[in-house]
Amino acid sequence: MSSSRERILAAARANKPALMSLPPPSDFGGDASLARFSEVLASIGGTVVRLAARSELAATVQQLFPAARLVASALLTPTLVVDQQTPTDVLADVDLAVLAGEFGVAENGAVWLPEAQMLHRALPTVTQHLALVLDQRQLVATMHQAYARLPAGPGGYGLFIAGPSKTADIEQSLVIGAHGARSLVVLVY
Amino acid sequence: MKVALFVPCYVDQFYPQVGIATLQLLGKLGITAAYPPGQTCCGQPLANSGCERDALPIYRHFVETFQDYDAVVVPSGSCVYHVRKHFDKLEQTPAVQRVRANTVDLIDFIVDKLGITTLPGAYPHKVGLHLSCHGQRGLHQANESEVTPVRDGHLRRLLAGLDGIELTELDRNDECCGFGGTFCVSEAAISGRMGHDRVQDHLRNGTQVLTGGDMSCLMHLQGIVRRQKLPMKVLHAVEILNGIS
Amino acid sequence: MSYRTHASRAEAFVLDHERTSWHDETLWFVRQKRDKAVYAVPEFQELRNLASAIKDHTLSQLDFYLEQFEAAALANGVRVHWAADAAEHNAIVLDIIRARGATRVVKSKSMLTEECHLNPYLIEHGLEVIDTDLGERIIQLRDEPPSHLVLPAIHLKKEDVGETFFKHLGTAEGLTDPQQLTEAARQHLRAKFLAGEVALTGVNFAIAETGSVVVCTNEGNADLGVNLAPVHIASMGIEKLIPRLQDLGVFTRLLARSATGQPVTTYTAHYTRPAEGREMHVIIVDNGRTKQLGRPDFRASLKCIRCGACMNTCPVYRRSGGHSYDFTVPGPIGSILSPNIDLKKHSTLPFASTLCGSCTDVCPVKIDIHTQLYKWRQIVAEANGLLVAKKLGMQFMGRLLASPAAFKLSGQLARRGLRLLPHALSHNQAVNAWAIARELPEPPKQSFRDWYAQQAPTPSA
Ligand code: SF4
Repeated sequence: MSSSRERILAAARANKPALMSLPPPSDFGGDASLARFSEVLASIGGTVVRLAARSELAATVQQLFPAARLVASALLTPTLVVDQQTPTDVLADVDLAVLAGEFGVAENGAVWLPEAQMLHRALPTVTQHLALVLDQRQLVATMHQAYARLPAGPGGYGLFIAGPSKTADIEQSLVIGAHGARSLVVLVY
Repeated sequence: MKVALFVPCYVDQFYPQVGIATLQLLGKLGITAAYPPGQTCCGQPLANSGCERDALPIYRHFVETFQDYDAVVVPSGSCVYHVRKHFDKLEQTPAVQRVRANTVDLIDFIVDKLGITTLPGAYPHKVGLHLSCHGQRGLHQANESEVTPVRDGHLRRLLAGLDGIELTELDRNDECCGFGGTFCVSEAAISGRMGHDRVQDHLRNGTQVLTGGDMSCLMHLQGIVRRQKLPMKVLHAVEILNGIS
Repeated sequence: MSYRTHASRAEAFVLDHERTSWHDETLWFVRQKRDKAVYAVPEFQELRNLASAIKDHTLSQLDFYLEQFEAAALANGVRVHWAADAAEHNAIVLDIIRARGATRVVKSKSMLTEECHLNPYLIEHGLEVIDTDLGERIIQLRDEPPSHLVLPAIHLKKEDVGETFFKHLGTAEGLTDPQQLTEAARQHLRAKFLAGEVALTGVNFAIAETGSVVVCTNEGNADLGVNLAPVHIASMGIEKLIPRLQDLGVFTRLLARSATGQPVTTYTAHYTRPAEGREMHVIIVDNGRTKQLGRPDFRASLKCIRCGACMNTCPVYRRSGGHSYDFTVPGPIGSILSPNIDLKKHSTLPFASTLCGSCTDVCPVKIDIHTQLYKWRQIVAEANGLLVAKKLGMQFMGRLLASPAAFKLSGQLARRGLRLLPHALSHNQAVNAWAIARELPEPPKQSFRDWYAQQAPTPSA
């Protein structure tokens, strides 16, 4: 092991203050309604579209994204098959990814997307447009409850995605579609 | 209750009327405040410049001067904040602890200690309130915009209780004026700009009389008002509450 | 003292009155967005207390959590490196890149690598390093340092960006529409992402119990870079640790609201294990942090989560610009971090404040920023960073103000002097900085104490 490691640990040990206590995990309750989730998501540039039934998914996607040529998804018949081995230049052409979100967070419009649902780790950000499919019973109020839903940890890689990619780096003007997905739709059933 | 008046150094020299109004207002409220003539300063100008050590004799002198009083009333939140917060550098003898606890801003004294929440009088003008940051954030004399949108505080309420008065709603309710003690000369350009912006906010929103609980900020703002020859009067709040003509 | 002062750089900035107004208003707008988001969360102040307590606890057990994190990360297949200082950090990064034979590096925002001056180092060694955050890319093309923690190009107007893109990205001359400029950057950077061989990221939070690092962005540039490149290197300061995954609930609720008023950043990415066939490295960096940990008055500065709120609220920062601080981290937090790095060079930063305390009140982890500024002032003065003349003056004032008789006399002299001097002299700006923007008070005939002495025998209550 490197000596820097020992030096840093020794200095941290020598210089740390007396033990302070760690507060227990918190939960402030809150509103976990679909209405709240939709309202917040809209305020950050995303959209909620309600499916009357999950079986309507393909038709709704077709209707929402008529121009999408290359669609990657495990939830409907894809026009492009993406898996962990898909090379970068193929990923680069994906127009739309339709992926299953695990749960949503009403206070901030975020959706938890675990690695298992991504097909390829880069897919959620490399795709031009992103649609996340969410069971409306899977909503929590706040991030406290969100992390409480991950007792086994976040997995190898996991994302909370709240709206489309955005930036305000030029004079604080909000621009949607910086590097990641240009639009985000949450399809709720 | 044995009450002493502490008059900050610059008030003593440049704004004697503020000290006079303080004595008179306290008198009307049944409090005869003594003015121990040996008093000098709270030491803040030095300490804020990084010379806290050189300020220790001043601290000790302050404690000696005021240790026998039940309340040391000051028409300046900034000085009170300094005594309360920074006299921790002294050995905490009973006298030091007493003086730190008993030193109180005039407005807080009136409301919290005397339990007086309205004062008689009329002041039919549009009044802009400027609290010092030490009063506002240091002594929590008013709600902070960093925490809540609700604007409240003792001085705001006392003023609002005067007949005919209208309080200015500012674009930035509690932005610092840029005085900052020696900051006003060591960073003169930024200080001047901050003061300018502060005064403009008042002007834009109709302030005719600019007031507050700390003459130091007001001295700075008044300097700008006078330099720019703006139609605005600058008064310490005690002058208004004491019934200025 | 051969170093320029904050005041001199600020004075240059404030000369452009209109641009100063624009800068101030732009950042105030961010502060207002923050306020709106904060007011909407009833438990916000409670969250600040929790965040502060969690960080306090972590610092008090830092050695334990560092080891716990390392063990978990190693078990996840992550390679963990330790760097005592900037030089060692940079060398480790270079070694990893060289071992892969890579030359193209894409980088998302990391103040730590900025602090280590990593970019110039890698470029010197022949590598292409592309900052992929839009604001960072803009200033990289302009060869400027960031002027803000989360809004690195906040000092620039869209015209400036248009000019830069015209020069470097071939956009139309005179193009100033943020939407179109961003689109141009998207196209330009997409090619870089697709070609990236090594992705560098910072770390917002490192979770000791799971060995994960968490990176928060709005643009998605960190994830795009990391997930397309075969190698991910995450650089983290030792203070980024938090004990449990659950603690992220507190911090993710605070970070974006404090920073920009968003309810959460668009992407909150949790990197725990490298993807199959890929590499993930974490470099744990000290670079002065354990020293700061050993200063009881200043260790709380290590709680900083780099939200930038203290900058947006600082009335001095808003009117002097980030570059006036001449330090990687500008604004109030930079002014309490920098003296730990180089006391002499940054000796004027603790004085670049009115001590108004607004920074302390917005700080999501409740760092007592303005109190630390005050305390650094004492250290700077003790170290004779203050000009000797000023220092002597202060001692003189100390004696004066401790002596009632001398005090009384000097006050009289000042007041009379002011009454007698002609305005042109008393307001001479070369000797009296007060008079640059302000009139002096009109001296009254009588001081309060003189008036008091003339009153009828005072009943000394
Ligand atoms: S000091 Fe506090 S307010 Fe400033 S950047 Fe750090 S966390 Fe944010």
